Amino acid sequence: MLLAVLFANSEGNILVERFNGVPAEERLHWRSFLVKLGAENLKGAKNEELLVACHKSVYIVYTVLGDVSIYVVGKDEYDELALSEVIFVITSAVKDVCVKPPTERLFLDKYGKICLCLDEIVWKGYLENTDKERIKRLIRLKPPVDF
Amino acid sequence: MAQPFAKKDDDRDEEAEYSPFLGIEKGAVLQEARVFHDPQLDPRRCSQVITKLLYLLNQGETFTKIEATEVFFAVTKLFQSRDIGLRRMVYLMIKEISPSSDEVIMVTSSLMKDMTSRTDVYRANAIRVLCQITDGTLLAQIERYLKQAIVDKNPVVASAALVSGIHILQTNPEIVKRWSNEVQEAVQSRAALVQFHALALLHQIRQNDRLAVSKLVTSLTRGTVRSPLAQCLLVRYASQVIRESANNFQTGERPFYDYLESCLRHKAEMVILEAARAITELSGVTNRELTPAITVLQLFLSSSKPVLRFAAVRTLNKVAMTHPMAVTNCNIDMESLISDQNRSIATLAITTLLKTGNESSVDRLMKQITNFMSDIADEFKIVVVEAIRSLCMKFPLKYRSLMNFLSNILREEGGFEYKKAIVDSIVILIRDIQEAKEIGLLHLCEFIEDCEFTYLSTQILHFLGNEGPKTSDPSKFIRYIYNRVHLENATVRACAVSTLAKFGATVDSLKPRIIVLLRRCLFDSDDEVRDRATLYLNTLGADGSVAETDNAVKEFLFDSLDIPLVNLETSLRNYEPSDQPFDINSVPKEIKAQPLAEKKAPGKKPIGLGAPPTAPSAAVDAYDRLLSSIPEFASYGVLFKSSAPVELTEAETEYAVNVVKHIFDHHVVFQYNCTNTIPEQLLENVTVVVDASEAEEFSEVASKPLKSLPYDSPGQTFVAFEKPDGVPAGKFSNVLKFIVKEVDPTSGEAEEDGVEDEYQLEDLEVVAADYMQKVGVSNFRNAWESMGPEFERVDEYGLGPRESLAEAVSAVIDLLGMQPCEGTEAVPSNSRSHTCLLSGVFIRNAKVLVRLSFGISGQNEVAMKLAVRSEDENVSDTIHEIVASG
Repeated sequence: MLLAVLFANSEGNILVERFNGVPAEERLHWRSFLVKLGAENLKGAKNEELLVACHKSVYIVYTVLGDVSIYVVGKDEYDELALSEVIFVITSAVKDVCVKPPTERLFLDKYGKICLCLDEIVWKGYLENTDKERIKRLIRLKPPVDF
Repeated sequence: MAQPFAKKDDDRDEEAEYSPFLGIEKGAVLQEARVFHDPQLDPRRCSQVITKLLYLLNQGETFTKIEATEVFFAVTKLFQSRDIGLRRMVYLMIKEISPSSDEVIMVTSSLMKDMTSRTDVYRANAIRVLCQITDGTLLAQIERYLKQAIVDKNPVVASAALVSGIHILQTNPEIVKRWSNEVQEAVQSRAALVQFHALALLHQIRQNDRLAVSKLVTSLTRGTVRSPLAQCLLVRYASQVIRESANNFQTGERPFYDYLESCLRHKAEMVILEAARAITELSGVTNRELTPAITVLQLFLSSSKPVLRFAAVRTLNKVAMTHPMAVTNCNIDMESLISDQNRSIATLAITTLLKTGNESSVDRLMKQITNFMSDIADEFKIVVVEAIRSLCMKFPLKYRSLMNFLSNILREEGGFEYKKAIVDSIVILIRDIQEAKEIGLLHLCEFIEDCEFTYLSTQILHFLGNEGPKTSDPSKFIRYIYNRVHLENATVRACAVSTLAKFGATVDSLKPRIIVLLRRCLFDSDDEVRDRATLYLNTLGADGSVAETDNAVKEFLFDSLDIPLVNLETSLRNYEPSDQPFDINSVPKEIKAQPLAEKKAPGKKPIGLGAPPTAPSAAVDAYDRLLSSIPEFASYGVLFKSSAPVELTEAETEYAVNVVKHIFDHHVVFQYNCTNTIPEQLLENVTVVVDASEAEEFSEVASKPLKSLPYDSPGQTFVAFEKPDGVPAGKFSNVLKFIVKEVDPTSGEAEEDGVEDEYQLEDLEVVAADYMQKVGVSNFRNAWESMGPEFERVDEYGLGPRESLAEAVSAVIDLLGMQPCEGTEAVPSNSRSHTCLLSGVFIRNAKVLVRLSFGISGQNEVAMKLAVRSEDENVSDTIHEIVASG
């Protein structure tokens, strides 16, 4: 299960937060845990350089893209390897929508599209689409070309 | 200096001004959502409003029921628009709001229209939305379409239906199970993702059918799997099949090993790692099987991708626990990972090295770790400290350098958990490595000179009081302890007073000086400190002579209470002030095992301290009071033990009965707890007729019927037996007898006349374990040594072929009914031998300690050596008899 996808700006403010199967009372704890993890480790990281951590049986893969840091959290079959696949799809889709690694402003400008991309990539804790070209068409309700 | 700060603020303001969501406010956005009702819809504007709503929801904002309903109804209006971009937003928005079941009806017709639309992507999205918002009844209506969609030629539609299936399986499994054939077809799809989703769903549908899973894996490992993701799933399923069929393949080739091995050469790194991991986790994996997996993992250690390095080192770390030798080849690569930017990787590398390193590499390793410790977070440091502790236990000769390392890091900055881990480690090393005692105690003394944590100071003082007097020069510790009396808070001061007293009681030459120090404590500002000083001065004999301290005093100071504190607390609470003083011997010693559900923390992260455990002795105490209030049983003496209730009826029968076995020195009382679950009946004169023909040594002496048992109001009936000395066992068959009277449901009154009736209950057994209380000891080795070999009995037993070593261990624990100590009930997987330590109190209050050594042969034949020590030689013999006859 993919437990969470979270986007934050460089100051640790949340831009997008999507949880699956995480009880409401634990979400705040997760949010601050992830933001702290990013603050401690993402400084000086290159765009799309992946960082990884684990806490008990839960895995976290995170990265930075422009002004935005991205975190994905998973357990069981979504271990660090599957999560790196997920975060790769997410970063490619965001770059595609924003044309380049986004500033916070650019990210917010494209907010609606980014939400649609996330909806195509992760649905209720499961990875659904992985191809950015296909995602690009799907969010405009265009059929995929590759079948 | 002020200039640049001001400038920075300006920059920030400027940037904030441009945020499209600046000053966004829920009420205002909800107002804006009224544009959805416009007869002339403006798709662009509507999309913007939806984006704002999404932004609010993604920030953790919630809508009230009324707000959500309003938004939902407004959004449904947008189905009228033909704008494609807007429609896509509408699908997302409906999923986000998750309307309640009575509102869903508003959109189902629109969605069902979309689901049968010619446009593929409408179909896919409508399926996803419908599956998220509908319940079982509507699902039945759309099931036909979903089945079609699973085999749709458009992969987007098929994937949408399959992933929906995975979700619906959680709530309506019976519906999804009917789709097996279609899902099976989808597994063969040429589209990579469809195959991935179909495989996941098919496995979930069949997960309880081992044969089907095995067939699925067999066919797919021979066929083509298109996506690496699906390949990873297949590797997992294959290793599951291997695990489950382990018993059938004791000899010869392991099924699917060749497949796993071939995956090590797959082009996707993800698959290679998954296969390597699967191989390392095979039960009883041989070195030959392990080698290729370790080789690929070693290559990944120097990968440029952090995730691959992490995955490899994490896997090797696990392997190091069971096969440390297999991992040593990777040590050089692992050492270079100590300086890895990613601290999670570095920590895993260090802990793996600590597990695989040999004695000669310890010093070099410690040097590297010292540099590393300064720049990692506390949570990683704790992992390292624990690894060092196990290393020291492995190489006791290296205690000096490892102890020095621990004391150095103890002096550095750190939080409570970290310091506690270090102190715990030092304490364990002192306890288990004799040579390390003096140096370790001195390190701890230095630490308490400047320790900010009261808990740790008191823990160390307590430990010092027990171990310090046994060293060659106990006087050197006194200065550190007495400093606490001057410099610390009341809790630590009180503890220091107790520690001083322990030194005084054990070391006679120090006693006069200790008494002088204790006298000074009489002027402390805190009550507890003064009370303790007074108490100890009196017990030690305040005349200050260099006389040997009385054994009773030593016992009082050093012996643990031997009573679980919770039990003592409950008994004290129940004690009613009277002429009779409180008797500490009346406190039950039994430790009730925690229910399994409490032990398993269901994946919850520890945010704070959990609720305190419920008092385990409350039930025992209540039984004691209940039984002593019944005149027939009052003469039986002190209640030794009450068993957990044993169910004598199936769940949901007319009459629910369970029984508690109360054990006294010469008697056994069965307490039958009965519940009448029929509202139209009243039971009277309820008894249990017990046939003890298969328990010849027991003779029935009393029976106490239950006068009346109305509906849903539990009552008890008792039967008492006399029993001889020793541990008689036997089987009892039970029949519930009663007079049943009909009850008028309107008035609630029972008829005058009743009918005699009876009801067969399950049999009940009294076994050897019933005569044993589970009473733990805090330090088994000390307890064992202080018990002495006088009444030790040792013998060896063959337990025959067993399922596993763990199964044999738990069977013997259950047979004896004793308390496992120091976690020795857990048998590490793959181990061929195991030692288990048990303690308990046998009937007539005889303490018993048991040391069990198990070994298992290649044919799963288990042999056991049983060593018993007890205060009574008959008890030691009895334990052997129990095992011999069990």
